[in-house]
Amino acid sequence: MDWAVIPRNLNFLLGGLVLTFELAAFSLAGGFLLGMLMGFGRLSSRKWIYYPATLYVNFFRSLPLILVIFWFYFMVPFIIGRPLGDFLSAIVAFIAFEAAYFAEIFRAGIQSIPQGQVMAGYSTGLGYYATMRNIVLPQALRNMVPPIVTQCVIIFQDTSLAYVIGLKEFLRRTSLVDARELRSMELYLFAGFVYLVFCSIGTIASRRLEKRQVQIRR
Amino acid sequence: MSKWYGDFQVLKDITEEIKQGQTVVVCGPSGSGKSTLLRCINGLEPFQEGEVIVDGVSVSDRATNLYKLRTEIGMVFQRFELYPHMTALQNITLAPMKARKKPKKEAEAKAMELLQRVGIPEKAHEYPANLSGGQQQRVAIARSLVMEPKIMMFDEPTSALDPEMIKEVLDVMIDLSKGGMTMIVVTHEMGFAREVSDEIIFMDEGIIVERGTDISFFQNPKNPRTREFLDKILI
Repeated sequence: MDWAVIPRNLNFLLGGLVLTFELAAFSLAGGFLLGMLMGFGRLSSRKWIYYPATLYVNFFRSLPLILVIFWFYFMVPFIIGRPLGDFLSAIVAFIAFEAAYFAEIFRAGIQSIPQGQVMAGYSTGLGYYATMRNIVLPQALRNMVPPIVTQCVIIFQDTSLAYVIGLKEFLRRTSLVDARELRSMELYLFAGFVYLVFCSIGTIASRRLEKRQVQIRR
Repeated sequence: MSKWYGDFQVLKDITEEIKQGQTVVVCGPSGSGKSTLLRCINGLEPFQEGEVIVDGVSVSDRATNLYKLRTEIGMVFQRFELYPHMTALQNITLAPMKARKKPKKEAEAKAMELLQRVGIPEKAHEYPANLSGGQQQRVAIARSLVMEPKIMMFDEPTSALDPEMIKEVLDVMIDLSKGGMTMIVVTHEMGFAREVSDEIIFMDEGIIVERGTDISFFQNPKNPRTREFLDKILI
């Protein structure tokens, strides 16, 4: 095993990590915001909001991410008339996809707050928005943190799927180095190690947060 | 008034008049519609037929500002329903500050006054998780009282309490009643009913089976269903 292949190509590989993190960050931010909208849409009593939101969520949750990446890569340029580039189409695909998952996290978080408290709020004369802002959301957001952190870890791992449209994120760069250096075992072990380190940080953070949840709840 | 859940009629032609200052106790088996009735009075639940008029305001009228109406009707729940992420004081001051736009100092002063009145001023900065059931329910009562409602409704306020805490809550309620508050209390605490109620209503399967205005209700109920129910709950 020639481990020297790694330091030799470290700059190139870590450059891929930058792209990985950028993709993950944009996906997280965009997916979170769009997901919040969809989540509230799923809770709406107005049918013209509820049905489209539900359709969106069920649609994207039924497809494999890799397919969604392909679709956006090939279909969006077709629709807007010009090519989008691998990074941009990856971001759009990820945001659209992750929004469906964040929507469910939001919906579940808000529904986890007992209706009795909402009734108590209403019975003292508080309106819908005041009840949401002061009673439901503070508790719901706290409850949502563990599943959101988990979803972040998943997004981080899923960035590797952008490989298929040629995006030079970390995993693709690993394979490019491999094609040149033919040191597959060392390279892929290293790649696995890198993903392991970052995902472990996320998982440990998530577990710590869950423990704190339980303490606050009693 | 009458109410249906789909095809099932849960309240059948409920007719009643409650005057200011009266305490009315509603008792009856589970599922008789007592809680639903309370929730119809403050508009938390819609009803299909009839009218509910609170101090001249019709609850089901589209023009009625339900939020404003609800500030005049206090409600205390069986499971207390305190906001777990806020202290006792914050639970009480939330509505005055958000619904009536009162300044914080004023809301807190009033809240402390009420905590004093229900007997637990020292618990102002405790979270509900650190309070006993009886204390939580008393905070819940204070939370409703701070809005200075004209009517207080209690939905089985002591049913979820350990026996040794029931008295402290009932004492607060008796105090309120004797102080002239108009109250509707759904409860099985007949001792409370005997002490302060001006009228007792027995409900079963969505209808008012019998009404009584004094001790004779307990000793000699006219309706066999009432008798059957009272036999089960009175020792």
